[in-house]
Amino acid sequence: MTTTEHEAPGAAGTEPEVLVDVQGVKVHFPIKAGVILDRVIGYVYAVDGVDLTIHKGETYGLVGESGCGKSTLGRAILNLEPPTDGKVIFDGVDIASLKGEALRTKRQDIQMVFQDPLSSLDPRQSVESLLVEGMQAHGLAKNAKEARPRLRELLKAVGLPVQALSKYPHEFSGGQRQRIGIARALSVNPKLIVADEPVSALDVSVQAQVINLLEDLQEEYGLTYLVVAHDLAVVRHISDRIGVMYLGSLVEEAAAADLYAQPLHPYTRALLSAVPIPDPDVEDSREQILLTGDLPSPSNPPSGCRFHTRCPWRQETRCDDERPQLRVVAIDGVVEGHRVACHWAEQIESGELQPHAVKAIAIDPSASDTLGGDLMGPASLTEAL
Amino acid sequence: MTSPANDRRKGSDTAPLLTVDNLTVTFQRRGQEPFRAVDGVSFSVRPGQTVGLVGESGCGKSVTSLAIMGLLPKRGNQVTGTVDYEGTNLLTLSDDDMRDRRGKDIAMVFQDPLSSLNPVIPVGLQVTEVLERHRGIKRKDAMPMAADLLKRVGIPDPNRRIKDYPHQMSGGMRQRALIAIALACAPRLLIADEPTTALDVTIQAQILALLKELVEDTGTALIMITHDLGVVAGLCDEVNVLYGGRIVERGDRHPIFREPRHPYTNGLLGSIPRLDTVGERLTPIPGSVADNLPWDHACAFAPRCSQPVEVCTTNTPTLEESGGRALRCFNPVEVAR
Repeated sequence: MTTTEHEAPGAAGTEPEVLVDVQGVKVHFPIKAGVILDRVIGYVYAVDGVDLTIHKGETYGLVGESGCGKSTLGRAILNLEPPTDGKVIFDGVDIASLKGEALRTKRQDIQMVFQDPLSSLDPRQSVESLLVEGMQAHGLAKNAKEARPRLRELLKAVGLPVQALSKYPHEFSGGQRQRIGIARALSVNPKLIVADEPVSALDVSVQAQVINLLEDLQEEYGLTYLVVAHDLAVVRHISDRIGVMYLGSLVEEAAAADLYAQPLHPYTRALLSAVPIPDPDVEDSREQILLTGDLPSPSNPPSGCRFHTRCPWRQETRCDDERPQLRVVAIDGVVEGHRVACHWAEQIESGELQPHAVKAIAIDPSASDTLGGDLMGPASLTEAL
Repeated sequence: MTSPANDRRKGSDTAPLLTVDNLTVTFQRRGQEPFRAVDGVSFSVRPGQTVGLVGESGCGKSVTSLAIMGLLPKRGNQVTGTVDYEGTNLLTLSDDDMRDRRGKDIAMVFQDPLSSLNPVIPVGLQVTEVLERHRGIKRKDAMPMAADLLKRVGIPDPNRRIKDYPHQMSGGMRQRALIAIALACAPRLLIADEPTTALDVTIQAQILALLKELVEDTGTALIMITHDLGVVAGLCDEVNVLYGGRIVERGDRHPIFREPRHPYTNGLLGSIPRLDTVGERLTPIPGSVADNLPWDHACAFAPRCSQPVEVCTTNTPTLEESGGRALRCFNPVEVAR
């Protein structure tokens, strides 16, 4: 077990072992146009320079709105989406540079649980064959018979009856299917599980069952999770540390409790205030920061701070032209390891800067203009064809 | 930018605008027993009031709204009961009469704006269509009105946007356009079926603020259909919790969240992670909707219930009303505090 070198923020004394070290990962998708010859006319900057570390045995939650690049980052860590630039060091090996057989073998250590259990399970494979496939591929079992004891153990771990082995995915409910997906991920004894929206397709009562299951399995098998989700309440519940993404980059990273107690980035503040809380008394009394406009297009991200087009605290200087880096801020009560990418985090926290309503509304049309303009691209392409 | 607390209890003495009484929807299934998706649902909405229908998938909340709107296919299903809209039973109206009312008196906002908007017609034209159909306004005159409506629901640069096709808009903007269409004829009743489920939280907050403002400013009655208890807590005056096609608990939002009496309501509240409390272990409701017992001779929720008693599997519980609350349970949750 080698520990990779990294610039872990804070963590004095007992430094937790790093399992995944993501260094400056970028994933850019080319936008192509042309009828016969494809020309690259631009890029979608889905992930645009992300640094983060995931410690052994912890749950790292990645949150953000649709289109912020959180899923792409999750896939890039598995090299399902080869990063355009940057390194993903897993257990001392740079996954991003692995190819062919070396990559295939390495994938035994990193497994994924997908959002939609029905489309991620082959409808023509029985549960047994679904679970055995991965074990055979990684040489953990020669055939189904040999794998039987292990399969029983897996099903028991995820709370399914043994009879499930001979059934097919359509015979199960949504929650049970997600359990099969989790069992499949567990079957090859992974070290890291990347769960992309593991509960968002499920009903609330079933959601809780799966969340509890994920927690139990982590304890039992000593797993490390990267949970990608849009639901802040779910992420806060299961994560130890949370990274908030906006338009391809991390804007804030902190321990789950710290992030909620003291959000520092304006986007995190708005995001947290927008989540409805099932308590009328809380709902009646709290102040919401309503953002105007929509997420700008990732193919034409705003200059400087990506959030400046919607930020109620935007300033005349720096915000428009200087891209903020994740940094530890010197504010009383902010623990080490709480990093934020905002030029004015200190001034906003101290109340020196106040949110301004007018500015944000005034820039709204231009923000949506860029969005509309970019959406025109693919539209005219299909029309041309 | 910040929207302050809402405090509205208006219209509590006015007559109901819409009264749904004993609404039952039965789907015929080939070679199988007919399936009762909605089973004797009764509730009413007053002007300026927001009534929530809450429940998980398959509880009948969407079918209820489609039945009110007369949008269920005529073949293969049976709708009984009454839907009284100011003295008229909507269920007995002819197709033509119902079409006159839809969009004018009662409007609906659906969950997925992309599939409810016509992809090959500019959004502006889809707004004017309602004005032309119901108010006989010429298209030329209706266009500026459409732009006004889009502006009212917060779409920037509406004069340019009316020429846009739905795919050129973002999800939040499409949902706003859909609300603009629903508002075009100033309906007195708006039914919103999961209007924010497909949207991101920051956009959801915008849309909910818009709906709230609409109810407060124009006195529109709103039926809010959702699975999200957080949305209900912030928006609805009265909450109806549905399970297996029947209302199992009803009450004003404060008492129902503070003291849920039905084990299902209580279970739902215990199974959602909350942003404002420290991560305790969740208490999920065991099993799934597939375990339901038939209502005819049992409580459908009994197999998943945390505190079933013997009578739950042999008798049907009735909806008992007392002090503004209604409850369908033999063994309700004790009020602790």
